[in-house]
This record gives sequence, structure tokens and C-alpha cells, in this order.
Amino acid sequence: MFRRFGLLLILGVLACPLLGQDTLINRLRIRSDSLLRTWQQAVAIANLADSLERERATIGRDTIAVGALRIITNASPLPVRQAAALAWPAIDSLYGSAAADLAERPYFIRAVDPDSNARRAVLHVGLEVPWDLDLRSTTTLLLTTVPIAPPDRALATWLTGVLRPSIHPREDVGGVYLEFVTAPSQAARGCFMGDIASCIDALGLGDTNHQLERWYPSAPERRAVVTGSFADFFDHGGSAPALRECVAGRDASCTALLRSLPADVLPKPLSDAARVSLVRDALRLGGQDAYRRLLRDPEAAIADRLAEAAGVSVDSLVAGWRNAALAARPAPVELPWWAIGVALGWVTVFAGCGLSSSRWRL
Amino acid sequence: MAPLRVWIAVAVGGCALIALAYLPPRGAAPRGPRFATYSPEPTAARRRAQAVAKEWRETDASLRLLEDRQHVKWDSSRVGPAIIFRGPTLPPTAVRTVEAVADSMWRALGLGETKVRAALVIALERAPGSAPGPIPDQNGVAFLTPDSTDRTTCMAFLPANHFWTAVLLGHPPRHFEPDWLARWFQSGLGPCAYYAAYGTPSRSVRSWLAARNWDVALYLGTHGIAGERFLSVNLLGDPRYSWYWDGIYSLSPSTVACLAGRLDGCRSAVLYGADDDARIAVPEIVRLEQGWWRKQHLLPGERFLGDVARDVGRDRFQSFWTSSLPVDTALAAALRQPVGEWTKQWERRFIQPIRLGAAAPLGATLLALLLAAVAVSAVALAASRRQVR
Repeated sequence: MFRRFGLLLILGVLACPLLGQDTLINRLRIRSDSLLRTWQQAVAIANLADSLERERATIGRDTIAVGALRIITNASPLPVRQAAALAWPAIDSLYGSAAADLAERPYFIRAVDPDSNARRAVLHVGLEVPWDLDLRSTTTLLLTTVPIAPPDRALATWLTGVLRPSIHPREDVGGVYLEFVTAPSQAARGCFMGDIASCIDALGLGDTNHQLERWYPSAPERRAVVTGSFADFFDHGGSAPALRECVAGRDASCTALLRSLPADVLPKPLSDAARVSLVRDALRLGGQDAYRRLLRDPEAAIADRLAEAAGVSVDSLVAGWRNAALAARPAPVELPWWAIGVALGWVTVFAGCGLSSSRWRL
Repeated sequence: MAPLRVWIAVAVGGCALIALAYLPPRGAAPRGPRFATYSPEPTAARRRAQAVAKEWRETDASLRLLEDRQHVKWDSSRVGPAIIFRGPTLPPTAVRTVEAVADSMWRALGLGETKVRAALVIALERAPGSAPGPIPDQNGVAFLTPDSTDRTTCMAFLPANHFWTAVLLGHPPRHFEPDWLARWFQSGLGPCAYYAAYGTPSRSVRSWLAARNWDVALYLGTHGIAGERFLSVNLLGDPRYSWYWDGIYSLSPSTVACLAGRLDGCRSAVLYGADDDARIAVPEIVRLEQGWWRKQHLLPGERFLGDVARDVGRDRFQSFWTSSLPVDTALAAALRQPVGEWTKQWERRFIQPIRLGAAAPLGATLLALLLAAVAVSAVALAASRRQVR
């Protein structure tokens, strides 16, 4: 009897930790369930608070309507209406009929005292802007923060961001010309020389297999990419010897280093700005509904979507874009003929002063 | 006196010309747009919801680890850690591939049949809204160390982000290298690899590691966070840029002193937490927060004990690991030299000692000397041309 009791006692002692663990798991389960309920309530309250905060942001504010733009702002010297009048044509011409949706997505702008010592309420909705901004800066602000719905993931990834109206259209296209002539990539140079297939490659619109070989087919190009963009990155640990070999001219090492990078990290021959300018061209060609057509099928290839938006084949679109970039070639700095005379004159004056100087007399 | 007036007139005229050329006319527009905007902050209610979500994630991860520990199935035909998947079901071929990679990684660490077994819980990415609760944290690595309820099992929780989920489901990116998966598993084992290799640490060592959230025992292998290229010290960036120094001076003073090659600093950085008799929670769940490398007490601390083990050999490291002596004494005995000295030399393998305090750059010093020489020469020349009648 006593032995049986002892055995039960030992078994009880041995089972204690397991029992303790079960208790702990139960405790954690109850806590997890309780936290989940609390979180659901907290989210509902947060949604309500955000909604109230948006309502509060409109109380006592003016709503400025220009085209489909709606700007909710407080009374201040900020030239919002004039800026909206300047910004609206640019927004309308880019998004076309899709710009009408902006009536449902207002800007919230809180104009505040530019004195940084002035007390300010915490901002929960919209933008806080000093009221001494001039018209140009306010217009730029409206153009760079258009509250348009973000594009689908595929287009946003290809563009690396959101499409906005251009502030300096001429300079933007001129920038593409500079990329044509300076990018260390045969694809970019081929595009410059008029090969439309190279343009499509350089813009990432064609076949994306073997991108390294297509974008940077020669050894010097690959070396330039490694040393120009990834020298610091590869100069550690196991990749440092390969980097040194690459710098010394061993192409296999350069290629191996570039292959070790994820595909989307490889520098593009033509920048995101070039892609944005192509989309702007497509939207300009496609007319009022072009932006809606661009977003219609998120599963389609980007080239097909651009062609659909522009209403022309992708080859024609890219050819037109290339021609526009070539036409926007930045003007070289020209020295007027008289500047040479002025420069020589100043040199003569200073040389004369120096040579004719007499010893000082005090 | 007359020539002096001429020179003054020439100087004033020159200034006027420069002003005419460079100053914009009155009323001209500034060149670039000028505005500074302030982005909105979340409301207090939103912040509270986020805080509750964080707490739920931690509790849920702890609960899952404890539940998984009760139900883990050990496969006697394998040597590597048991693998438990959460989320979408993997095809059998993908499971076999993952197990094979885990086994080869285990062998590469020099581990075979071990007294403490490790299990790797891999949480695959789920679509938002597919499960109740907040979106799971894809960066929250956690470890459940052996305790009195289960002395032979160490659990590692490894969330698979979008990239790793695609790899595990058999859709790796084009440039995927085969050894990346093994490195990822190795980095996900954390303290469990030490438990498997050396058993349960002594109370003093465990208390020391618990006090510093195991930051010196995160990687047993020779690789860093994701291979030789990535050590936490590399994440600081390049000393040419200001953010490098922002990163340096956000670290604790002893960590910075060790980076500068100071013995006392290195000793303090290694022995941080060794004096505290930290209470070891049961169950002990070690969590690595996002950006844990910014809070390290030693850089690159994640591989410190792994390198100690390799340098001193298995027996000496084992005696340190299980020693009941204070950590500084046990570690110095294993290293056979003062802790600060060994650590200083170890630090130099990864980073050149940084310079602390004000120091003029060489270029600026040379320029200053050159300007001083020009000034002295000009004065001497002027004095030599001076005539006194």
C-alpha cells in the first residue's frame, strides 16, 4: 500500500513540469485570444478615430475646387487657388478622364506659421505647409502630391513609384538624351543610334531573360557597373578577392559578381525618369482615356499595356519617344565671340598692373 | 598716396562687377521650388492598435513555439533539425529538398547526433486577411531554449518573407544561388546551434547571454548574417558618409571604444551583462527585433562566440560553456589571454580601428600649412620691398 502510494507520488512529481507547461500554454492561449479581441476592438476604434480626424480636418476649412481638384485648407495667405489653377491643366492632361476621380480624393492642406517656434497641433491628416510659400512652390507641391490612387504592383514596380505630372517637361526629356550618351550600356547606345529593339531592351519592356548580357554585353561595361555601383558592396568578406580580380580586368569575376545580385538590383541602363517619360508620351498619344486603359489589365505585359494606352504599337511609341529625346538635346554652352576679347583684356590689365608696379615708397 | 587710391578704386570696382554678375535683379524668382511639408502622424487610437498587434504577435509566436515543441516529430533517418512548416502546404518534393539542405547545413556545422535537438519552425507568408489577427511579422525571429519542461529540444521560429516563401514553394528568382538556402537556415538556428553543439550552458553563462539577449551567440558557423559579405559591422556603411558616424555614435560607449581598439572598451563590451544575475524566464523565449544589429554591445557580436569556439577548440570552449566560474574568468581561461586583448585582435579582422576625438584631415593640414607659408612669404616680400627714406 505504502509502495503504491510512493509510486503515485513519484509519477506526480515527474508529471508536474508537463502539467506546468500545459497550464502555461492554456494561459498563453487565453491571453492570445484576449489580445486578439482587444486588437479587433482597437482597430475598429482606430478606424473611427481616423475617420473623425478626417472630418475634423474639414471643419472650419475652405474647400477650393478647380476642375476635379478639391483642396480643403484653412484661411491663409497661401496661394492655393492660383496654384490649383496652374496645376489642374497638367494633371488633367496626364490622367485624362481618370482625373475626375480626384473629386473624391481631396488634398488636405494645413497652412501654418512659417516660424518654427510657433506652437502647432499634431497633424493626423494631410499636409502641413508654411503659409509663406510662393505660387511656384505651391504649384509644385500640388503636382508632386496628387492624391491619385496608386497603380497596380506590376506597373509601380516597373516605374519604381507613382506617376506624377512633370514639373520641368523639357528638362526631363533632355535628361533622357544625356542618359543615351553617357550610360555605360550597349543597349542605351543602340537606342541612341536608332535601334528600337535596343530601346525596348534598355527600358525593360522586352524579354527579361539574360538581362545582364542584354544590357551590358561587353566586359568593360560589366566592369564599369561593378566598380561604379557595387565597389563598396562587394569589398567585404568572400567577394573581395573577386572584386579585385574584376577591377584588374578579369571579366569572369565581374560577371560572377553581377550574377550573384538579385535580378531587380542590376542597374537599369535607362533610369526610372526615362520610363516615366515614355509613359507620359503614351498617355499624351492615347488621349482622355489613356490612363484608364493603362491600368485596365494588371496581368498584361507592360509593353502591351503601354501600346493599349497609347493606341499605337510599342515600336511606334518607343520610336516617337526616342525622337523626342533626341530633339530635346541640351544646348551646348556657347561662348560669345566678345567674351574671348574680354578675357584677354582682363589678362592684359592684370599683367600690366603687375609689371608696371614700382617699389613701394612710404 | 595717389597710387593707393587707385588700388582702392580698382578693388571697389571689381567688387561691383562681381555683384553685377552674380546678384539677381530685384524681383527675380528664386531658382528652385522651396517648401517643407510635414507628414501626418498616426492617431493615438491607431498607435494603440499597433501596440496591441505587436503584443499579440509576441504572445502568438510564444504559444506556437510551445505547442510545436509538444508535437514535434523526429525523423530518425535524418541528422539535421526537424522542420515544421506553417502556412501554405508545400509539395512533398519541396519538403524533401528543404530537409536535404538542412541536413547538409547541419553537417557543415560539424553537428551530427546531438543531445539537444533543434527544430526549425518556418512560417510561410500568407495573404493578408487569410487568417484572423494582425498581419504576421515577417522579421520576428524567435527561439525557445530548452528548459525544465523539455531539456532536450530547442525551437527556432523563422518567418519566411515574400522572397523565401517563393523559394520554398519552388519559384526561386533567376539568380538564386543554391547555398543561399543553407545560409538562411544556418542564420535561423541562432542559440539552438550552440545548444546542439555544446549542450546547456552553465548558469553564469546562460545568465550572461540572457542579459544581452544572446547577441554574441547568434551564428555558430563561419558566415555572417547572410554569408561572408554581410556582417552587422558592414551595415554601418562607409566612413565617408555621415550616417556611418551616426550609426557609430548610437552605440554604447564601450562598443565605440572597442571599435577604436581600446582594451578596456573591448572587455566591457564583451562582459556586458556578466555581472548581473539576470533572471532567466521559464520558458526562455529569445526574440530578435528588426534592426537588432543597431543595439549590439559588440560589433560584429553575432559571430563572437562562434569565432571563440573555432579559435580555442572544442574542449576549451566546452569547459567555458559549462563552467560555473564567473564569465570573465571562464572566458579568459578558455582564451588563455585577457578577454579585452583577444577581443581587440578579433575586432581588427573586421574593421580598421576608428579614430575618436577631433583630428584634422591630412589634406586640410597641408592646405593650412601652405596658406600659412604663402602668408609669411607675402609679408616677407612686402617687407623686402619697403623703403624708408
